[in-house]
Amino acid sequence: MYKGIAASRGIGIGTICRIIEQDLSFETKIVTDTDAEKARFQKAIDDFVEETYAMAEEVKKNIGPKESEILLGHAVMISDPSMSGEMFSMIDAGQCAEAALTAVCDMFYGIFSTMDDEMMRQRASDIADVKVSILKKLLGIEDVDISKVPEGTVLVCKDLTPSMTSQIVKENVAGIITEVGGPTSHSAILARALEIPAVLSVPGIVDLVADKDTAIVDGTAGDVFINPEISVLSDYVIKREDFNRKKEELKKFKGKETLTADGDKLEIFCNIGTPKDAKKAMECDGEGVGLFRSEFLFMDNTHLPTEEEQFEAYKEALETMQGKTVIIRTLDIGGDKDIPYMDFEKEENPFLGFRAVRYCLAHTDMYKTQLRAITRASAFGKAKIMVPLVTTVDEVRAVKKLVEEIKDELRKEGIPFDENIEVGCMTETAASAAIADFLAKEADFFSIGTNDLTGYTMAVDRGNAKVAYLYSAFQPAVLRSIKQIIVAAKEAGIPVGMCGEAAADPLMIPLLMSFGLDEYSVNPVLVLTARCIISKWTKAEADALAEKVMAMDNVEDVVAALKAAAKE
Amino acid sequence: MVSKEFTINDELGMHMRPASLLSQMAAKYQSNVTVKYNGKDFNAKSVMLLMTALIKYGSVIEVVCDGPDEEEALAAIGEFIDSGMGD
Repeated sequence: MYKGIAASRGIGIGTICRIIEQDLSFETKIVTDTDAEKARFQKAIDDFVEETYAMAEEVKKNIGPKESEILLGHAVMISDPSMSGEMFSMIDAGQCAEAALTAVCDMFYGIFSTMDDEMMRQRASDIADVKVSILKKLLGIEDVDISKVPEGTVLVCKDLTPSMTSQIVKENVAGIITEVGGPTSHSAILARALEIPAVLSVPGIVDLVADKDTAIVDGTAGDVFINPEISVLSDYVIKREDFNRKKEELKKFKGKETLTADGDKLEIFCNIGTPKDAKKAMECDGEGVGLFRSEFLFMDNTHLPTEEEQFEAYKEALETMQGKTVIIRTLDIGGDKDIPYMDFEKEENPFLGFRAVRYCLAHTDMYKTQLRAITRASAFGKAKIMVPLVTTVDEVRAVKKLVEEIKDELRKEGIPFDENIEVGCMTETAASAAIADFLAKEADFFSIGTNDLTGYTMAVDRGNAKVAYLYSAFQPAVLRSIKQIIVAAKEAGIPVGMCGEAAADPLMIPLLMSFGLDEYSVNPVLVLTARCIISKWTKAEADALAEKVMAMDNVEDVVAALKAAAKE
Repeated sequence: MVSKEFTINDELGMHMRPASLLSQMAAKYQSNVTVKYNGKDFNAKSVMLLMTALIKYGSVIEVVCDGPDEEEALAAIGEFIDSGMGD
């Protein structure tokens, strides 16, 4: 078995077709007839651009506009004055077209591949792709026609370039294995868009296999098997059926309401980090945003974000969500983050220190800017304000008072906003669970942040390997806190959601249903999975399981009981 | 010669798409268009050079236009940057 990076989920089984890199070496010549050489080069560029546009059109039709932009970028790159312009000048000076192309492309490759920015480093592979494509044109080398491979082919190559990917016929390619490329590379993105299982970065794989070998590509685990034993093969045939069946099953939940087996309606929201993620939430069928982290505005910035900058970002997310709820969490950072323009002091114990709402209420100018931006944005959708790290009722009162002041200002200035904008609590501390009934009288809603709630309740830093075994949301202490928070919200008649990882956990969901959780906020890719799990449980079944589990005094028993009851 | 400062409000900074649109826009004008950032000058008509500048979200850049249609060039480019660079 070979290990690689799991880049596109699913199991592919098929016959290998290797795409071997061709010999692109050339002789460097001194050119005397520079006009003829330039004409030859121009022809190669023109052919390349023409083919690229045609391919981009195909990709746009078959895959999507975003993926086709990668290819269009190649045409833009070569037409750039500092690319082809520079190359033509070198030909004028007597270099042959191949040498000019290589020199300029390699120079830019060098610049981009060492940049301190993942997105820009990706551009280096685009440049290499452009170079190889045009070099092939100049040298008259024809490519293997990937579009002609037979059904059940597993492609094995050094790197899957966008131009190669765009020729793939989805029905015929069972899997993809490469030697290079990461989870965010174009090959990975395109493989996922085509729903072809892919394992990338398997060292030396091209030389380890031969054409017609049988391969298993496990794109979920990142495993590759070449000419496997019959027993392994039959295991994976079953796994493949299983995966495909589940995938089909999930598709049935697209565009549907989230209903329990009794037909009670719940909601699946999404957790997002930037306004652009809101598009993802919509694409993945999220019914709202349960957690919009506002930290990106502060962390990827050189200055305190202005009201206008923040307003635009919140407004964009709200407009994208088309009237669906967007819960915006106000700034949630402290001394563990180094933000040069903010006066965070180094603290002994930043997670118990001057952070989140504590910092914000001590810097009301800064905090009011954020609250005002959110309140203004509320005119463009259904915005809610969520306060992180609440430990006292006074904190909620203080934030609500600020919001009321802002509303008065906006009214006087004639600026529109939602008069009923809600202010809620992120319940994620041991204190917030203990006084959940008090908080529920003051807050308009609760959202349980299970990651921090687990950490603060168990007094565990999950990053510390020696104590990480205690970090589990299934610990009886954490389960009791979760239940207490949900029950307090229900008694006070306010909605309660959960925006931690636990909200999408198949083992946790029946418990949350029993406790009465209304809204489950998950990573966008897990929306359908969560909706599917909820559909399988009735309230009575969930209650019976919860009653049994809540009587257990240790985490092992809890998890074992939940696993035994889990529904496939 | 005319110039003006702008703040980049695209979260991903000057990545491929905005850089490519900006360079195409700059190329429409006869004037030389230069982006000044981090003490360096970049030819705005070149998408490659614009990307090498690694201009991040929230950065302030100065756009300098020099030539017969410099006013129009600066106005058009300014509007493009302020409107979120096509994203």
